[in-house]
Amino acid sequence: MTFSAGFLTAIVYGSLAWCALAALALAVLLVKDLASGETW
Amino acid sequence: MNEGSAILAPMTGWILLALFSVLWIGLGIYWGRRNKTFEDHALAGRTVGLALGSATAAATWITSNTTMLAPQFALQLGIWGMLAYATASFGLFLFAPMAGRIRKLMPNGYTSGDFFRLRYGKGAWSIFLLFTLFYSLTWLVSMAMAGGILLNALSGIPYVWGMSVILAVCVIYTMRGGLAAVIGTDFIQTLIIIVGIVIVGFAVLSNVTIDEIHTNLAAERPALLSVLFPAAIMAIFNNLLFGLGEVFHNNVWWSRAFAYREGVGGKAFFIGGLIWFPIPVAAGFIALVSGVLNVPVPAADMVGPLVVVSVLGEIGAIAIFIIVFCSLASSIDSLLAATSDLVTEDIYRRMIAPAATPTRLKKVAQIITLGLGLFTWAVCIPRIGTLASVLFFAGPLVGAMIWPIITGLYWRSANRAGAVGGMLLGAGVGLVCYFAIGWYVASLIATAVSMVWVLACAWLSRSRFDWDELRESP
Repeated sequence: MTFSAGFLTAIVYGSLAWCALAALALAVLLVKDLASGETW
Repeated sequence: MNEGSAILAPMTGWILLALFSVLWIGLGIYWGRRNKTFEDHALAGRTVGLALGSATAAATWITSNTTMLAPQFALQLGIWGMLAYATASFGLFLFAPMAGRIRKLMPNGYTSGDFFRLRYGKGAWSIFLLFTLFYSLTWLVSMAMAGGILLNALSGIPYVWGMSVILAVCVIYTMRGGLAAVIGTDFIQTLIIIVGIVIVGFAVLSNVTIDEIHTNLAAERPALLSVLFPAAIMAIFNNLLFGLGEVFHNNVWWSRAFAYREGVGGKAFFIGGLIWFPIPVAAGFIALVSGVLNVPVPAADMVGPLVVVSVLGEIGAIAIFIIVFCSLASSIDSLLAATSDLVTEDIYRRMIAPAATPTRLKKVAQIITLGLGLFTWAVCIPRIGTLASVLFFAGPLVGAMIWPIITGLYWRSANRAGAVGGMLLGAGVGLVCYFAIGWYVASLIATAVSMVWVLACAWLSRSRFDWDELRESP
């Protein structure tokens, strides 16, 4: 039993998209913290 | 590896090293200006927000291992290898609720050592300090050594120079800026690493399709696609437990739990785990491309950079250099800061100078950071090749501390006999198994033995701990 090409596609593209979203989310969180004066 | 086989010209490597060194040191000095007391220096004033808190949790866990070892895992253990590596993020997920509880129970705490001293007394505290200092120093030395080796392999910069520069840069900005500098630089480093991985990943995929990768693996190395790959499935348990033990006990993570603004800790660690979770797959799949592109791989741990360079040329080499440099710095600075705080708070303040002023403690923490840097540098000079096995040796010590921490945070019935016995028995049996069977079972057995002892002691105990005893005045 082997992992299919579809599964490999899903985890590779999924992880790259996830990373891109994570970077975006961090930037948004920082702007939000800066606006509310709660950066540190 | 020498200059001839490096993927980047030494001059380019030196320029990049100089640019980032100036940036980190400049930011460290800038962010360190507001630090007046030990609390400012060690815990960034206990007011770290969600964005910086989430990024630092992820960045500290992204070591050079994550970016360099993930492709090696994929090359040797296939799809399961990448997924197994991703389970290391569970340490962050499971620490999330604990971080909130730690902040609530110990509003004035500084270190994980404070918890052991107040919760279980001096005997357990001493054992904990011995275990955690051994582990932290080994990790610190292995990271600095990895820095020298990787910079040499990537750009031909001589090992001693590369190791010395990266260590010196981290020591300088951690000394000047304390945890604020560590957390601030972590945010930038996280963004650089993630964006770099995404760009490199999509660039590789623009040259090779997943179908081509799958077809090549099915023909050349079908085991890497196997759903039932025993060695890879074993790696899941090993990574999971090692990750849990490391995050649960180490002051690197506890200092962040104390430093976050109230109500932020749980969310920050959970988001940090979410940020980290996809990285082993996003960085690791690149290794699976080596077969399709016929990239020769003389050493498995260099597969990632070699594939990237074959696809992207010098730009790819520069990207890998920056990603690796950021990964190394984000871990070395955190280890320096957390270990220095542990020595300052648990040894200097609690054993030597209880009356030391907050300003004096800050000074001492800076001197200890410098001392740790010099110690690490001296140990790294000979370039011992077997240090990874020493880190595995610490696995049973780390595993044996998991249950005393979990039960100590949540159960009133958890007690001193359970903690002391759990740590000593777990570590002892784990180390025997390390030599008698192998490293891959040592952490698992240490954790299991410690668990049985700790739970039995808690079950038989009639004492009930008063949580207020953890609320020590600052």
